Amino acid sequence: MEIVVCLKPVPDAETRARPLPDGTRFDPEGVKFVLAGYDESAVEQALLLKEAIPGSAVHAISLGARSRTDEVLRAAIALGCDSATAIEASPAAFEDPIAVAAGLRAAIEGLPHDLVLLGKQSGDEEEGLVPGALGELLGLPHFGFVVDLRWDATSQRLRFGRSTEAGEESWEAPLPCVIGLQQAWNDPRTAKLPAILKSRRAPIATVRAPTGPPEGPTSEPARFELPPPRTGAKMIEYRTPAEAATKLVRILSEEAKVFP
Amino acid sequence: MTPSVLVVGEPHGDGLAPVTAEAVGVAHVLAGADGPVAGLVGGAGSASAIRELGQFGVGRVLRIDDPGVEGASPGALARAVAAAASTVGARLVLLGGTTFGRDLAGRVAVAWNAAAVNGATDLRWDGEALLARRPVLGGRATETRRLLGGRYVVSTRPHAFPVPERPPVSPSVEAAPAGPVPPLLLGPKRLGVKAVPSGSGPALADAAIVVSGGRGVRAPENFRLVEELASALGAAVGASRAVTDAGWRPASLQVGQTGRTVAPQLYIAIGISGAIQHLVGMMSSRVIVAINNDPAASIFRVADYGIAGDLFEIVPALTAEVRRVRGT
Repeated sequence: MEIVVCLKPVPDAETRARPLPDGTRFDPEGVKFVLAGYDESAVEQALLLKEAIPGSAVHAISLGARSRTDEVLRAAIALGCDSATAIEASPAAFEDPIAVAAGLRAAIEGLPHDLVLLGKQSGDEEEGLVPGALGELLGLPHFGFVVDLRWDATSQRLRFGRSTEAGEESWEAPLPCVIGLQQAWNDPRTAKLPAILKSRRAPIATVRAPTGPPEGPTSEPARFELPPPRTGAKMIEYRTPAEAATKLVRILSEEAKVFP
Repeated sequence: MTPSVLVVGEPHGDGLAPVTAEAVGVAHVLAGADGPVAGLVGGAGSASAIRELGQFGVGRVLRIDDPGVEGASPGALARAVAAAASTVGARLVLLGGTTFGRDLAGRVAVAWNAAAVNGATDLRWDGEALLARRPVLGGRATETRRLLGGRYVVSTRPHAFPVPERPPVSPSVEAAPAGPVPPLLLGPKRLGVKAVPSGSGPALADAAIVVSGGRGVRAPENFRLVEELASALGAAVGASRAVTDAGWRPASLQVGQTGRTVAPQLYIAIGISGAIQHLVGMMSSRVIVAINNDPAASIFRVADYGIAGDLFEIVPALTAEVRRVRGT
């Protein structure tokens, strides 16, 4: 099975977010970009499938500023991915999810692909638009929020679950297919030192993302704001647990108005 | 010209998901006072879904009559939504920001050649452009995006918009256009769906109240204290990573960076210390309450209200008080 895994470098969760002086968008200066948890789990899933199906290969691709993509692609190679492709695009194209999907398509169409794997959403924007957009652009079925992905060799189909508001769905799908994974149901492996050192010299292919039509639909950041700093909890003073409970329920109904 | 809006009705039980009503509410605002708002429904619950849309003032409903819509793959559904949007001449397609809607939005956007945003908490026109606000970075910031190009697909975050108060109407009903679906998109098959048992409380993603337990509950059998409070409140149950990693509760309940992001009206964190991993999954909640025996726990820095104390005493007292106030 030829597997393409799409990776997005995202700000480290410990990052202190702040807007640019003009207030329009996130200021990336001095921010550490890492492989998101959702994407780590996608790499692990790809490697598990590769190990289970003889003759498989995993191709890692990533779109964004070169300094960031190369970092996550080398991390993917160190974990056991077979090839790496960086997708270069104009900065504006990073900022619209549909444009991101179009950039990913450009790389995917140049690679053998039975299965395209993504995290369900990026670790920073948390939109979850890309799996569906990519599926439609490639003309392939897609499923987001997937759990428990397996390959059924007998039927030659993927089997997986989806946890939706309606309940726990179970699905089967033939290849090729685009899959957005819900979360780390696996325990992602860590790279070994020799592999990390070797990945420093691994070749990274380059693909240029297409530019969309000038009047076409797109989106751009207009404002990036931090919430007013939380001042810390108002602590409830009490002598007995019953008193604490009574006071909290009263506050929630009269002051916060979230109850009953 | 008043912009026409199409709302995609998300099936839920025998009717519509609550988030669809909220999407209708913002659709009326964006379409203008008497602007056209249309709805799209399909599947077994169509009749009651149409009635519900009428109660929220939706005057025109397109119904997908193909029985295959039950269990259709997102690829096939997206084609149906795009075709309906073109039929009503919509400028905006709204979906509820649930798993169903969020998964569909990106695909509809490409199929219908539109700009898209998921999980909006505020929407307004800026001339021909649409401004959409949403939390990002796990609630550590909010972003406003300007959507351009004249056609927009947006999913609305649950609880972000009020249910509309409109005079009820009796909607006109017509068959939704049935477009060709490429054979490749018909390959996937839904094998089954195990409904969430009723009485198990609302789904985590769209619950108005979430009660979560962490390492502080100490043992799997003590987690029932969390569940009993949730049950008294009609809340969904969540858990920190410590709890799901230990196997005390399934991973599907995990709230946090590697689990689910939730933004209820009220979030109650019980025995959760407040690791950043957890905080990024719940920081957009409107009101946060923390109960923890360590007054220095970092959860108290993000909470609005805190009780420093023994959860094994506080939580049962709170459950009893909630039941007393509610008369249950």
